[in-house]
Amino acid sequence: MAKNGSNGDFSVIGKPVAFVDAAGKTTGSGKYTDDLTMPGMLVGKILHSPLPHARIKRLDVSGAEQLEGVVAVVVGKDAPNKYGILPVGHDETALAVDKVRYIGDNVACVCAVDESTAERALELIDVEYEPLPAYFDPEESMKAERDLIHEQRPHNIEKDYHHVFGDPDAGFAASDVIHEARYIANEVTHAAMEPHSTLAAFEIDPQSGEPGRLTVWSSTQVPYYLQHKLSLVLEMPMSQIRVIKPLVGGGFGGKSEVIPLEIIAAVAARKAKAPVKITYTREEVFWAHRGRPRTIIDLKVGAKRDGSLQAVSARVVQDGGAYCSYGVVTILYSGALLGAIYDIPNVRYDGYRVLTNKPACGAMRGHGTVNVRFAFESAFDEIASKLALDPAEIRRRNLLKPPAITVNGLRVQSYGLPECIDRVIEGSGWGARKGKLQAQGSVRRGMGLGCSHYVSGAANSIIRSDMPHSTVNIKIDRDGGVVVYTGASDIGQGSDTMVAQVAAEVLGCTLRRVKVIAADTDLTPIDIGSYSSRVTFMNGNATLRAAEDVKKQIVSAAARKLGCPPEDVVMRGDLVFRRGASLVEPGREQSAAEILEAKDAPRGGPVSSNAPTVSGKVEGQILRGSLQQKRKEEGRRDQLTFEEAVVAAIDFHGALSGTGSYAPPQEARGGAFKGSGVGPSPAYSYCAQVAEVSVDEDTGEVAVHKIWAAHDCGRALNPVSVEGQVIGSVWMGLGQALQEEMVWKDGLLINPGMLGYCSPSAAESPEIECYIVESVDPEGPFGAKECSEGSLAATIPAISNAIYDACGIRLRESPFTPERVLAALRERDQQKKLNLTEGVSPTAPERFREHGGATWFAGKGPARHELDPARTGRVSDVTGD
Amino acid sequence: MSLPEFKFVRPQSLSEAVAILQQHSPAADPLAPRRPPEERGGIEIIAGGTDLIPSMRQRLFEPEFVLDIRAIRELRGIREVPGGDLELGALTTLTEIERSAIIRQRYPVLAEAARTVASPVIRNMATIGGNICLDTRCVWYNQSLQWRKSCGFCIKKDGDLCHVAPGGQKCWAAFSADTPPALLCLEAEIEIAGPAGPRRLPLSELYTGEGDARMNLRRNEILARIILPRRTANWRGAYRKLRIRGSIDYPLAGVAVAIENNGHIQQANIAITGVNPAPVLVKRAGGLLAGKALSESLAAEAADLAARTAKPLTTSALTPEYRREIVRVFTRRALMEAGG
Amino acid sequence: MKKQLISIRVNGRTHEIAIAPSQLLLECLRQDLGLTGSKRACEDSSCGACTVLIGGTPMLSCATLAMSVALDDDGHGPEITTVEGIAEHGSLAAIQKAYGDWGGAQCGFCTPGFMCTVSALLDHNSDPSEAEVRDALSSNLCRCTGYMQMYQAVRAAIEAERKGRAAAGTGTH
Repeated sequence: MAKNGSNGDFSVIGKPVAFVDAAGKTTGSGKYTDDLTMPGMLVGKILHSPLPHARIKRLDVSGAEQLEGVVAVVVGKDAPNKYGILPVGHDETALAVDKVRYIGDNVACVCAVDESTAERALELIDVEYEPLPAYFDPEESMKAERDLIHEQRPHNIEKDYHHVFGDPDAGFAASDVIHEARYIANEVTHAAMEPHSTLAAFEIDPQSGEPGRLTVWSSTQVPYYLQHKLSLVLEMPMSQIRVIKPLVGGGFGGKSEVIPLEIIAAVAARKAKAPVKITYTREEVFWAHRGRPRTIIDLKVGAKRDGSLQAVSARVVQDGGAYCSYGVVTILYSGALLGAIYDIPNVRYDGYRVLTNKPACGAMRGHGTVNVRFAFESAFDEIASKLALDPAEIRRRNLLKPPAITVNGLRVQSYGLPECIDRVIEGSGWGARKGKLQAQGSVRRGMGLGCSHYVSGAANSIIRSDMPHSTVNIKIDRDGGVVVYTGASDIGQGSDTMVAQVAAEVLGCTLRRVKVIAADTDLTPIDIGSYSSRVTFMNGNATLRAAEDVKKQIVSAAARKLGCPPEDVVMRGDLVFRRGASLVEPGREQSAAEILEAKDAPRGGPVSSNAPTVSGKVEGQILRGSLQQKRKEEGRRDQLTFEEAVVAAIDFHGALSGTGSYAPPQEARGGAFKGSGVGPSPAYSYCAQVAEVSVDEDTGEVAVHKIWAAHDCGRALNPVSVEGQVIGSVWMGLGQALQEEMVWKDGLLINPGMLGYCSPSAAESPEIECYIVESVDPEGPFGAKECSEGSLAATIPAISNAIYDACGIRLRESPFTPERVLAALRERDQQKKLNLTEGVSPTAPERFREHGGATWFAGKGPARHELDPARTGRVSDVTGD
Repeated sequence: MSLPEFKFVRPQSLSEAVAILQQHSPAADPLAPRRPPEERGGIEIIAGGTDLIPSMRQRLFEPEFVLDIRAIRELRGIREVPGGDLELGALTTLTEIERSAIIRQRYPVLAEAARTVASPVIRNMATIGGNICLDTRCVWYNQSLQWRKSCGFCIKKDGDLCHVAPGGQKCWAAFSADTPPALLCLEAEIEIAGPAGPRRLPLSELYTGEGDARMNLRRNEILARIILPRRTANWRGAYRKLRIRGSIDYPLAGVAVAIENNGHIQQANIAITGVNPAPVLVKRAGGLLAGKALSESLAAEAADLAARTAKPLTTSALTPEYRREIVRVFTRRALMEAGG
Repeated sequence: MKKQLISIRVNGRTHEIAIAPSQLLLECLRQDLGLTGSKRACEDSSCGACTVLIGGTPMLSCATLAMSVALDDDGHGPEITTVEGIAEHGSLAAIQKAYGDWGGAQCGFCTPGFMCTVSALLDHNSDPSEAEVRDALSSNLCRCTGYMQMYQAVRAAIEAERKGRAAAGTGTH
């Protein structure tokens, strides 16, 4: 692990530490939302639409209301205000008001005394639907003239963007080699272990005697957005709403916007006049979705004979599902980050985010970049092989030269990609092994390279304003306890620990002194949430500034005590001393308290329960208070303990608190073109990976043996945590590459469970060797950047390129299931074609029949409208160009 | 989802259990074969619980009674009987089977197949009896009540249509247990307890080949034990399983082979699972292989027979033609491994 | 359905509770006994987040009826250990400490299941091979870690146990 330690001279950061909340997780004592109960709490259960697109003609909930144990039944008209995570995409309501738009859309909610009563009540709700024609394929949906999914979106296009940077036509004309292909990445979802859960409770207002303030505990990555949307829907001021985030069992983007149950629980608590908790079943989690959309990428890449890239053009179509969600951002990220990792002078991008009658797609780890990265890095390899260049070499020839501004206006200040490539090439033995691995029988081995990058938070927030993206407060009391109030949402990535480390490093105190109060809108100042890998960079910077603010006060008071100018005061190892006067040996910082106690405790002994009483008490704290009082009277000192310095500062300033905030600088906010608000970030992470795979040519089964993953995260504040994030990202990419896929039949998800949606188990998960590259960003907190998402995108092309190296087949559709691999092998050998269409509905467009049954599973699906093209088999074929 | 309400009975002896079943079987037709899933009501037997409980959550079963047989001691244990056969109590867990020294030594293909079932924790619970009686599976069937409602239910439960083979009146749900093909290859017999006392039959006769009424087990009967005959002891064997994940998954296709081999093949069996509504012995495979020396070409010929026996449909992930092809590859490989 | 009074033995204590016959052990632990460490995550008995030890063997509490593990009239029945019963005398067990130190737990939602699975493995085999550890871990799904750091954690716990100290990983990074 030494290879991944930080080099800087730090006390707390750069060292592996256990998460501050680790014990709660390993003992089971930590509380997640579904672990909470309240007296009188009701259970909420949601009735979902069985049809993909239908008008609600009649909704009769009286049967359910009459069931013993049912307290309230909530319907759309109880809270008809629209909301959505993006200001441009307010297209959701708590429950369907007039029509349903996907199987699983929310129709009504029963609040009852227990789960089984609520479930029985759902059966008693009578809904009459009028089916409408439904759309399942984005390229078909784009042709729609009538029965639109949302009336305000012509042709069911949520948003399209057409960006041109440089002169792509000239770039292609100047190219010696051009590669063009269609790549498809099928739909995947977060599958966080914790199903979403929300508990909502109103308190009675003592003045009016009516229900007043609302408190919501929820499994969310974005407490402040939840507070904001609740305020819109419930028509309550934000100040009357408190959102608390308990432990969250993983998010990956699936909890990074307001999920229907969060709004429904609050509306239900209002109507039922009692606390209501809703926890999704696993199937409901799949319906809530917000995962990575199925993406069709028509990519064209041109390069000179020496491998230098001249132009890139991409047409990207995303199957967005029935609501906007983060869709506009996703389609913009796909364009903005497509080329910005390399030095590419000319880029054309045409992106279409299209509505379909399926659960809404949204943000998922590596938001917007993953599928286009798969396409680009695969195409880059194809160019390399046409030019007979080594895949590593061609990448090295196209690197940016920082500091740089990319052709689409992204500012790059730190760029560890060259070192990332070097590390994985060296670590994997690429030069000696690539292309030379021995086959064993029908099993062939190969190696592949992929690179990726990602933002450290978006430079422009969703709601455009100049307000800080993060604010952090710190309070220190006379006992020397440091309390950090941060809005950052720890969802398992360890942000509470990061915040504690940054505060402890700045204040020169031990980690144990620092308590983090996080993600409670009544207590913690605004932070816009845990998404886009923004927390370490932005909340870390805010924490750093808050700690500097409070440190300034301590230092000025300490300077008087130490009789030196403030700039000579050092806070380190729980001591405050004059520069050069440390009595503490390096490595013994933790023992400052012991030194003090040994020196100053009455009768020479350490402070213990046998120590003399002070004011009739024996607690060390009060005793220490008296010691401090004693020292205060002693006059000038060489060093103070942290607590003494704190007491001095409080005596001097009256109170000890600090605040800090962070907003990305203007220079980092990107260009002036339409859509330029998405993509710019104060800093970017960079990743390179080598995958070693074997392909069984008889079965098409792919096994990944090892992945070498290098990630440039600026400075690693907590190496064990950085490694965990990088490995977790790579592993999640592996799932998308090989085995995860949402399979549909007319909008009905065929595999809505952990059994059918095959996220990898330990059995087939490979060894992942992580190299941390520390480019030290000039603006990151201690130089830190993103580490939790960027690596995911490199894994898929690294694996597809390795499969090519192993057996010479190019897989342009993910996941690379054994049947897709076998079909490609047969095609390579010009053998009998493997028929992948038996499972496909005969009404599916030809391209789906070619690609297997992922989208148009055969069988009788839900009832359909008579004009429905898929029902009548009149679906035409389009090439998409 | 919570479980549907039911009454719980936990008999201490096999005779008590059979009496309870008899008492709650429909008076009109107590001998009718069990046709799970039953209509609402009836009685369901629970052993490990790993199949029944998730299915009850999905309202595939809503029994009036659940009969827990785990307290019945006479259904436990592995023992050698006079004559050299080996008897396995139906409650023997799959973990016990994969760890049993005598099974690993004499019937290695069974231990190997048991080791591939689901995950280690599930094998701590799941029993050999339950694995034999495992309900058939289909993506149109193993879904929540709400989900099944969305597509008008299916012929196996609450509906009148098969989504896999529209137009037909047959249920094609795939039999998806791993140990039965191994047991078929070992020519295992089973003993069934009923009101008239025990009856014994070859395992191959238990299955009907129907996806819904999958077993010839009457409503008042319990599978009590499995008998591994002495004559197939020490046959070499191999089991190959197609799955997406290396753990947890049900088989998308599975092939077991068992061979008595001393230079030339004396006797051999091949059985497949995961692709048909029942686990099936590949007909004529034994005849083809017997008396010959195993070679790649002979194995390929047998593999053709197995692939022709496989009738995969769109009941499961991965496409039917691929799964049929895998039956071919796995058969060839299993034979070469067992015969090597 | 009328509830029935049963006794079950969990983490060394016997509890008398009234439950419906259809109550799962998982629900009984979480709702009746307030032991919310065991998690409901998949509902198709595939993920292992609800794993507890029944008579020392890891099993899924979401596929176990509470009635099936009730004590009989003589007070005989299986001892159930949940994640709350893994900690030793109010301190972290070696495996718990090691999971914290080595990043074996990120979001922590699957961790209670892993704690039960791994502690059963180490109870029965104090020095498992890499393959045995991998096999045991394959019962439980995790979505954060990719399992890699869990191997380091298990190794560290074995090492800590071997050295006979409760604190795994200290100073070894």
